[in-house]
Amino acid sequence: MKKYNHIQTLFFAGIILFFSACKKDYGNLNGPTVEAYQNNATAAELNNLVSGIESGMRNSIAFYLDDVGTIGREVYRFSPSEPRYVTDLLGANDAELSGSNFYIATPWASRYRVIKNCNVLIDAANSTTLITDAQKKGYIGFAKTIKAHQLLMNLNLTYSNGIRVDVADPDNLGPVVDYDAGLAAILSLLDDAKTDLAGADVQFPLAGFSAFGDAAGLLKFNRALAARVDIYEAKWSDALTALNESFFDLNGDFYTGVNDVFGTGSGDQLNPAFIPQNQNGEVRVAHPSFARDIAANDDRINKTSLRNSTASIPAGLSSNRDVWVYTSSTAPIPVIRNEELILIYAEANIQLNKFSEAIKALNVIRSKHGLGNYGGAQTQAALIEEMLYERRYSLYFEGHRWIDMRRYNKLDELPIDRTGDDVWTEFPLPVTE
Amino acid sequence: MKKRLLIHVMLCVLCFPLLLSAQDNAVSLKVQETNGQPIAGVTISIDKKRTMVTDAQGAVTIPNANSSIIVFSATGFKSKTIKADTLTQSTIILEQDVANLDEVIVTGLSTNVKRRNLANAVATISSRELSSTAPAQTLDGALEGKIPGAYINANSGAPGGGITVKLRGVTSVYGNTQPLYVVDGVFIDNSATSAGLNAVTSAASGGAATSTQDNPSNRIADINPQDIQNIEILKGASAAAIYGSKAAAGVIIITTKKGRQGKTAINVSQDLGLITVRKLLGVREFTADRAASLSSDPATSEALKKQFTDAQAAGHIYDYEKEMYGNTGFARNTELSLTGGGEQTSFFFSASQKDEGGIVKNTGYRNTGLRLNIDHRISDNIKIGITTNYINSSADRGLFGNDNVGATIGVALSSTPSFAELHPDANGNYPANNFAASNPLQTIALMKNNESVNRFITGLNLEATLQNSGKSTTKFIARGGVDFYNLQTSALFPGTLQWQAVNKGTSIQGFTKNLSTNYIASLVNTFTPSDNVSLTTSAGFTQETGDYNNLLNVATQVIAGQSNVSQAGALNATQLRTKYLNSGVFIQEEASIIDAVTLTAGVRFDRSSNNGDAAKFYTYPKAGLSWNLTRSGIVDEGFFNNIKLRAAYGQANNVPAYGSKFTGMAISNIAGNPGVIVNIQQGDANIKPERQKELEAGIDFSVLNNRLSFELTYYNKSISDFLMLQSLPSSSGFSSKWLNAGDLRNHGVELGLNAIPVQSKSVTWNTSVNFWLNRSKVIRLIIPPIPQGSFGYVLGSFQVEQGKSATQIVGLDGDNGVGVLGDAEPTFQMNTYNEVTFFGRLSLRFLLHWKNGGDNINLTSLQSDFGGTSADYDKVTNKMGVPDAVYRIMQIGTTARIFVEDASYLRLREAGLYYTFNEFHNSFIKSINVGVSFNNYLTFTKYRSYDPEVSNFGTGFSTGVDVLPYPASKRAAFHISFSF
Repeated sequence: MKKYNHIQTLFFAGIILFFSACKKDYGNLNGPTVEAYQNNATAAELNNLVSGIESGMRNSIAFYLDDVGTIGREVYRFSPSEPRYVTDLLGANDAELSGSNFYIATPWASRYRVIKNCNVLIDAANSTTLITDAQKKGYIGFAKTIKAHQLLMNLNLTYSNGIRVDVADPDNLGPVVDYDAGLAAILSLLDDAKTDLAGADVQFPLAGFSAFGDAAGLLKFNRALAARVDIYEAKWSDALTALNESFFDLNGDFYTGVNDVFGTGSGDQLNPAFIPQNQNGEVRVAHPSFARDIAANDDRINKTSLRNSTASIPAGLSSNRDVWVYTSSTAPIPVIRNEELILIYAEANIQLNKFSEAIKALNVIRSKHGLGNYGGAQTQAALIEEMLYERRYSLYFEGHRWIDMRRYNKLDELPIDRTGDDVWTEFPLPVTE
Repeated sequence: MKKRLLIHVMLCVLCFPLLLSAQDNAVSLKVQETNGQPIAGVTISIDKKRTMVTDAQGAVTIPNANSSIIVFSATGFKSKTIKADTLTQSTIILEQDVANLDEVIVTGLSTNVKRRNLANAVATISSRELSSTAPAQTLDGALEGKIPGAYINANSGAPGGGITVKLRGVTSVYGNTQPLYVVDGVFIDNSATSAGLNAVTSAASGGAATSTQDNPSNRIADINPQDIQNIEILKGASAAAIYGSKAAAGVIIITTKKGRQGKTAINVSQDLGLITVRKLLGVREFTADRAASLSSDPATSEALKKQFTDAQAAGHIYDYEKEMYGNTGFARNTELSLTGGGEQTSFFFSASQKDEGGIVKNTGYRNTGLRLNIDHRISDNIKIGITTNYINSSADRGLFGNDNVGATIGVALSSTPSFAELHPDANGNYPANNFAASNPLQTIALMKNNESVNRFITGLNLEATLQNSGKSTTKFIARGGVDFYNLQTSALFPGTLQWQAVNKGTSIQGFTKNLSTNYIASLVNTFTPSDNVSLTTSAGFTQETGDYNNLLNVATQVIAGQSNVSQAGALNATQLRTKYLNSGVFIQEEASIIDAVTLTAGVRFDRSSNNGDAAKFYTYPKAGLSWNLTRSGIVDEGFFNNIKLRAAYGQANNVPAYGSKFTGMAISNIAGNPGVIVNIQQGDANIKPERQKELEAGIDFSVLNNRLSFELTYYNKSISDFLMLQSLPSSSGFSSKWLNAGDLRNHGVELGLNAIPVQSKSVTWNTSVNFWLNRSKVIRLIIPPIPQGSFGYVLGSFQVEQGKSATQIVGLDGDNGVGVLGDAEPTFQMNTYNEVTFFGRLSLRFLLHWKNGGDNINLTSLQSDFGGTSADYDKVTNKMGVPDAVYRIMQIGTTARIFVEDASYLRLREAGLYYTFNEFHNSFIKSINVGVSFNNYLTFTKYRSYDPEVSNFGTGFSTGVDVLPYPASKRAAFHISFSF
């Protein structure tokens, strides 16, 4: 009986031990959690978020380029496993754009994922005490600038269907706002970011920003984006003001700017828009109008390359030129660059009737691409045509043509290849919205 | 006293010379059936302290019998109790009892009850039914067709197992759907670890190395079925509640063979078998015109035509399907077992090796196992049992199933016509297949996809009697164990493979370490205030832990001939770790009144580190009542030999998947800067376990002198707060989120019949027939229905939807838009197991299994149609007058009806004929058993693919999706075993 009591005591001692010792929570063993960043994050942790943002900007970027490039009749994307590039995007027969399909759902989600990361960074920077106020402003200014850019990419796709601007609380999302409100919100985000960056200390590493990786550089990048939004909003003199604060340089290298960069490192990405020349099956070829409409001697013809054999699909499309804008699997994709800024300068001046400034800018573009000075009519209409031509070839397959033609109500001028094809104005919102 | 006994023994010796024995008070007995046939393997319990077992002739010699109380029990017989000192004859006759009323069933973690007083329908599988008819390759295979109330489905024919077991319907959508396996008290890990094949097949998009379509095997396959004495299946919460957190999908309790006191018995057995393909689909017969029609481009057509005529002229028309799947696999299985022991210690030892080839060259399965079970009595009050098991298994599984790059053997075959030349030239170089991205013959010859496991399972049982008075006994029972394995997956695709032109060789090496531990400690008190009432109180606590660590290295640009991942141009590593700790406290009370009414009530409190609130205890009650009407005298024992009413209710939980409470961050680097980006799956910090509530009720009765017994059960089990992934507006930055999405219900019936239709001196026929069906319904769903578990509406998909069956299959349905096209749930299932014994020596055993209804999504024939190679491609039976395959392809996008196909079958799962020689009275050899057996030899089905049992997505929610699997096989084997 004594032994019995002994064991009974042990048993109950065991129970007590069990209740006190066994409350375990192992945390996440496979990576950090969002919550962990809200708890006095270190500069290293914030920097990881910054790199995640920069890296995430590249996600599904090829879908965006193919969306804008295909509807803008810059390219065809032939894929045996994915016919929707040539059915839905080109509006073949009865095909329509669907909000449940990859071409809108995937890039849209990728942009908002980056925005989520930006919000995590903003919250983390605001809640930590381990960095100075100036550093804090640097992180926040960067995050807001990128948020604005990512929102703009989605708004470019959905246009009058709008975007959701307030997405800070995933369980309580803000409303979908229309195109004008969306642009206004993007611009105000950029302006906020400008204020932050003005007194900022930027210590975090950036990969694709080259000379614009410090506070002053980020400010220039921010203003370059603002100039782009200004011309979308037809705020022409604002655009010129923004250009002045950006890295706009009439005599500078066209490719100065900020890029999505790619690499072979572990956990890095390869350029998803790169397809080698003369492939069969999976190909991206130039729309036939690209070579047809280009001026003689225009060196921008080299943004495409002549194929060994014509690529065609049974659905009645063919082309003999490969898209050759991104010529290797690690070639960068521009976010915004000086050549676009020069063209924005030209456009704003055309709209403000300062034709000589505009022609000066256009001639910079023309001369560097093997064309003589502009000799056409010096009317606003003629200059707009000229400016759109330069934008078409200078910014080929960088995601602009469709948006430019939409801005100038010229979508009906885009070529229709097959009877029954449509030129879409906008994408529907993803069904999950 | 001693003197009297001595006199008694002397008397016995005088009267019955047969009882003569070397030991003074030993008794020698022979146990027989009523028809005089000896019964081997009868368990003999001596004073509940020692156990022995009869040999092949039904004989046993019990030393030191003295005045012991001896209980004889055997499956299928009523047990019999005698007192050694009143024994007057040397032959013990056991009466048949088809209802197995005396069988002892485990009802709590540390208590048990006889079947006659059981409140639940607990299915049991004896070792004879499990592995003595036609032994299956793996344990999961050996369960097929044997459990009433279960839906068991092989994922593919690939060697090494991989089988879905669902007890009483789907119990979860995204949570665990597979039962918990407990071997001798040790909770066994049954996870399936992907070998990273998605890195080469891209079956699931997104570029991850693993997907649910990699067809791995389940780790329960490691356990050797021949070591198993008995399996009990607790099918739902009403029976399994006491097992807590892991028991929501049911519990399969496995008891391995234990040692018996007595002379050491040695058994050696050898099986030799041949494995062949069960069915080939046939190939399309080509003509020049048909060859030309493979392309719509005129120039290509002409070239194809020429390729065909050239091949025909050279006699190079092949049946590649036969060539690839027509291999005859050789199977051998050797087993040695020793069992014996003395009064204090007994042991069971076994060593086994199994080596089986596959129907595809370079595939196969090997399993080597060692087991040592020791039972030891430390004192009269304390006994311990130790079980140890080491397993080394290796499975070469080939490359099959869905893919998006044309790499798998099935996908490549589906587009390769008979006039293609795939054979190697004189130098061994394989030509490129111009009809597919890969040359499947080359793939078979050069690739490797191996899973190899080293596993150690050990368990400890401790039973100590703390207190024993006339009316009350208190025991301390502790039980626990460790299951540890290292799994190495090795997938190697050399650069010379046609489809490795870009990657130039891929080597995927996975290393998995898993440690599971569990223990229970409990106090059990049995209080017997009078002969009519017995109360058993048990209380205790339990704990289970799991620690899984998987490191997967995907190397590409591999140095020629190397598999070492460091010999490669590019290397990508992924690591997945999960860890949990579940703990619980239980208390249970069982009351037995006049051995006729049994009342059980218990409650369990559980928490898990996987729950949102790791500290919170969730409460799960259970209760049961069984009322034996004959024993309680309400019904006279006349027509009915035994009649019992029973009802049981219980709750159990299913914890959320590890990590579902976190919103994680994924690695996303750029230019050498390490970066993190939010995962697209949002966590729910408040996630709760799913709760299952089950009520079952039934009636059991036996008639005709216990020769015919029935067991009828109805159950209703509901799963509340079942776990789902909800789609989120992607502007939130997330695409999905875990949540407790709604309620689900399964209900069904199980009818069982056991009978001895013939019992004579020369022939005994035992039979059992079972019928079962299940219906499910989604009662509540708080999110909109979304297609899942397949490839969308165009090809047919599962869809969880309020008010509908949980396993419904929906898809495009012509003008009706998206409609319900079928249901994976069988209409009903039946099985019958029969054993006919002639003269106690020749035994014919067979198991028939009929699954009626239940649809599959058959995309295998679609792939062959697309590839232009289906055997019935050119038949014209459709209303449009075009070839059938063309017609079927034309339906895509309009209707998915053609893909949703009835997967009914009637299958002779196992059949065996055995003969026993046991007339070796003076020989070293006690008996020799020889036999032949057949596995899955006959199948009657209209299903149009390799086998109605298939699952491209493994063991999850969506079984029955058929995408060019490893074809199913059948096996014929010869067996011989010697007992010494």
